[in-house]
Amino acid sequence: MESILQVKNLNISFNTYAGEVKAIRGVDFDLKKGETLAIVGESGSGKSVTTKSIMQLLPKSNSEIKQGSEILFDGKNLVDLSDKEMEKVRGKDISMIFQDPMTSLNPTMKIGKQIAEPLIKHQKFSKKQAMDRALELLKLVGLPQPETRIHQYPHQFSGGQRQRIVIAVALACNPKVLIADEPTTALDVTIQAQILDLMKNLQKKIDTSIIFITHDLGVVANVADRVAVMYGGKIVEVGTVDEIFYNPQHPYTWGLISSMPSIDADDDELFVIPGSPPDLLNPPKGDAFALRNRYAMAIDLEEEPPMFKVSDTHYAATWLLHPDAPKVEPPEAVKRRQHKFTGGNHTEGEVFQ
Amino acid sequence: MSEKLLEIKNLKLFFNKGKKNEVRAVNDISFDIFKGETLGLVGESGCGKSTTGRTIIRLYNATDGEVLYKGENVHDSKSKSKTLEFNRTMQMIFQDPYASLNPRMKVNDIIAEGIDLHGLAKTKEERSKMVFDLLETVGLNRDHAGRYPHEFSGGQRQRIGIARALAVDPEFIIADEPISALDVSIQAQVVNLLKKLQREKGLTFLFIAHDLSMVKYISDRIGVMYYGKLVELTTSDELYRNPLHPYTKSLLSSIPFPDPEHERNRVRISYDPADHNYGENDEVKMREVTPGHYVLCSEKEFKEMADHSSTIKNV
Repeated sequence: MESILQVKNLNISFNTYAGEVKAIRGVDFDLKKGETLAIVGESGSGKSVTTKSIMQLLPKSNSEIKQGSEILFDGKNLVDLSDKEMEKVRGKDISMIFQDPMTSLNPTMKIGKQIAEPLIKHQKFSKKQAMDRALELLKLVGLPQPETRIHQYPHQFSGGQRQRIVIAVALACNPKVLIADEPTTALDVTIQAQILDLMKNLQKKIDTSIIFITHDLGVVANVADRVAVMYGGKIVEVGTVDEIFYNPQHPYTWGLISSMPSIDADDDELFVIPGSPPDLLNPPKGDAFALRNRYAMAIDLEEEPPMFKVSDTHYAATWLLHPDAPKVEPPEAVKRRQHKFTGGNHTEGEVFQ
Repeated sequence: MSEKLLEIKNLKLFFNKGKKNEVRAVNDISFDIFKGETLGLVGESGCGKSTTGRTIIRLYNATDGEVLYKGENVHDSKSKSKTLEFNRTMQMIFQDPYASLNPRMKVNDIIAEGIDLHGLAKTKEERSKMVFDLLETVGLNRDHAGRYPHEFSGGQRQRIGIARALAVDPEFIIADEPISALDVSIQAQVVNLLKKLQREKGLTFLFIAHDLSMVKYISDRIGVMYYGKLVELTTSDELYRNPLHPYTKSLLSSIPFPDPEHERNRVRISYDPADHNYGENDEVKMREVTPGHYVLCSEKEFKEMADHSSTIKNV
């Protein structure tokens, strides 16, 4: 399948009073046309920084995208674009939905005008045309009584309705890429289910590709075609949703999956990943997860593992996949999942890249 | 069944009572909490679950109804010492570990505030020892006592909040969304800690949350709330296996589950209160459909549910 967005060797640092925080340390991934790629990981793993860099929304004053980083979209490297050029991409070809629907709308502007704004700016619509299209979009996102509500202010809507409006704004120009940063985290489960269904339906209708950031693995299982797991500023495992949930290879992914209670099994105690995330002021020498990893080997402290190939779509950065590594038993919760896996394993320990 | 620790009878809490903008946040709910159990309370935001918790602990004064603690009506208590004792035995853990700790107080003073109020420590040394012990109980260490809240992460702050609740040796703890603001891996740590404390100290919990998978994991029984009413109450296994109220079914059908196969086959059920078609003569109240399984329903619905449940039992 054709890639619509490629991120290559992305390195980003923040300059803080304490020194240089290496927030993103060599991230590579590509987004295919029409797919949903979920990025998961704990707070501080670099999910939001990665996507903000795609939109070029990081503050120039204290952040630095390192030389050699590439974000390729439509034949351009977004990293090299000027602010003016970027304005033409942002909100038109690539748009974003944020976590908090309460603060991402302008409280002093009627919602119709907010939806029409990108159309007037980017598509050179007349005011009338833009408002007509705004009404269509409100119908598309399933807002009740759009004809009257288009003239209302954000405070007159509930959280779920506001998120629908935010989605309408983001989709106004039929973007090729939609970045959704925890779009349902602030919503109730029933509303969350509605919004997820809505996003999936709209994706089919307008044929957009979605990068979906979340820490809720239930949501990932629901929306994602592929999943990238981030840890300590790197992608440690990437694969199709089935590969990640039923045949995970990286011990960090094992930890994430086992720390969620499962409905069918009664575990006495939840699995806990010990310790805390790595300090990216002084990133560790070897595998960043080594100190919290009970499967860690001597080499994990010495050398960073490369991406090993598990299948054509599945890669993981752990020395456990090296042909010389001892065979280990994953945690119970992971073993229970493996019997559901139907795909194949590539076991020669081939190094990718 | 073990003894009742708390009986909530026809509890009501109306905001702006008698005015045009009256809000019936908690509208006539009754349930019991047994000693040593964890009762989970779930529902959407605005359904009144937090208000219920806050009214039980008397952060709000109930509009009507009774809260009996070990058979005594504590909300009407006239004696100061009784009220103080009640305040000691019942403690609360809050949702937001950032907002619920005073940023200007050191951790040892935050934790010891209750100890001082209730005069539980005779000397300064005893007070510090109690604080150190509590910090160790919740998985922190004594060096943390001299620090301020901003020096801690979210998970650590929630542990401080738990230590503060434990300081006065309570029997009953209301945990109002204690893990909602935390990362998944940290959630597991806090939930394991709460379970361990319950085992060791024989605590009783009212666990308020909207994350149903965690609630199922931690609770013995679960109550489901909708618009100020309790609509269903039963054991956690039974609630998942045999949900009876249509709202519960709808709620369960919308929880995303970390299993792609399950998600692809998900059928979402929506709930519309108008579907009940209650007539004027229908008496809608909590009825016990099977032993220990209560559902808010009319007489007619009750019969249908009872029939349905007996067929399930026979299969």
